[in-house]
Amino acid sequence: MKKTIGLFSIIIISSALLHVNAQKGEWKLNLNYNYSLPLGSFKNDIISNNSPRGFSGDFMYGINDRFSAGLYGGYQDFYQKYSRDLYQTGNHEVTSAVLSNSIQTMPILAKGKFMPLGARHAPVQPYLSVGAGISIINFSQYLGEFGGTSTNAGFTAQGGAGVMIPFGRYSLSGLSLGADYNYIAFNRYGYNNLGNLGLHAGVYFPLR
Amino acid sequence: MKRMPLLLTCLLGFSAMFTACTKDPLNHLSAEESRIYITSFDSSANFSSYKTYSIADSVAVIDNGHATKERTESDQAYIDAVNKYMQERGYILVNKNSNPAIAININRVYHTSTGLIDYTDYWDYYGGYWDPGYWGYPGDVYYVPYVYGTYQVTEGLMSIDMFDLKNAAAHGNKINLIWNGLVRGEGIFDSATADSSVQALFNQSQYLRANE
Repeated sequence: MKKTIGLFSIIIISSALLHVNAQKGEWKLNLNYNYSLPLGSFKNDIISNNSPRGFSGDFMYGINDRFSAGLYGGYQDFYQKYSRDLYQTGNHEVTSAVLSNSIQTMPILAKGKFMPLGARHAPVQPYLSVGAGISIINFSQYLGEFGGTSTNAGFTAQGGAGVMIPFGRYSLSGLSLGADYNYIAFNRYGYNNLGNLGLHAGVYFPLR
Repeated sequence: MKRMPLLLTCLLGFSAMFTACTKDPLNHLSAEESRIYITSFDSSANFSSYKTYSIADSVAVIDNGHATKERTESDQAYIDAVNKYMQERGYILVNKNSNPAIAININRVYHTSTGLIDYTDYWDYYGGYWDPGYWGYPGDVYYVPYVYGTYQVTEGLMSIDMFDLKNAAAHGNKINLIWNGLVRGEGIFDSATADSSVQALFNQSQYLRANE
């Protein structure tokens, strides 16, 4: 009986270790739907509407059980139409118009992720992440139907936290849920940044 | 590798979302919202010092530099609307031979611009375009003898000008423009929009008021 228990323990420990080894050196793809909330001057001066139109993904390499690093890309569309108002458009000139602001951000970041539980078979794996890179920013502003679009690039920093929920105890695929704070520098037209909070939900799976 | 179809499907799905996820501001404007009303004025003018005005009985149509005079239904609607709001502000309509203090001209302005679209090698953007080899010429390239298409855009606006006749002599026989109102956007040449457009111009020009 003792021999059987011993053998069983070895099998369990071995499978856990195999799982640990499977994390290391593994490439994972994570694809998410994004919902974003503008913050600070972005919210106060440009667009206050939350954006349900976004997605993101990262492509991460498992350095060890706890740390992974890779690339992050995303897309978010912000839009707001303000009701008709008067705008001072010259020294003695006033324009009555419906103002529309439209911004698309496309961040491309180097990203690192830390999972404090490492290889433990927890049903929920929390994580922390940081990223830095640039965002391509399309900014369109219209008075009525008159206006235009400019495209710029801005430094972007991201900090995030969330959980990964494997589909099964030993599964390397699962659901991911989390939130990111994004700082996007945007020094144009008197504005300075497009800070926003992104909430995301998606799936991750290994690439083999 | 067995996950590649899943990966490609996801990427295709995300590409479709990329275009579907963008709200184009111009596609979310009603005709009324597309219109803008611009007013400017001479800050040295004392609008309360004028009592009378006269207005041209037709509209100048300025089409790419050529001017004619017309009075369509919508032109008349603009003339009527200007009369209505001027008189609401206390100004008195007089014949142009009765020494009006202000002269008002209404203009319909059209500007047409022409652009070019470059068709050169547009298929380079599409990886799946038929290779010349499909037609029996492997290694060759397509040649397009005409590479440009043209397009034309005509934009129109209504302009209302107020000139200072009262002080023309004092200004060395110069008739100064003291106020201008512009209406741009969809439906501006429709007689149904004339009144509301002129009303908007007057609403944002509260200084337009005669001493009563």
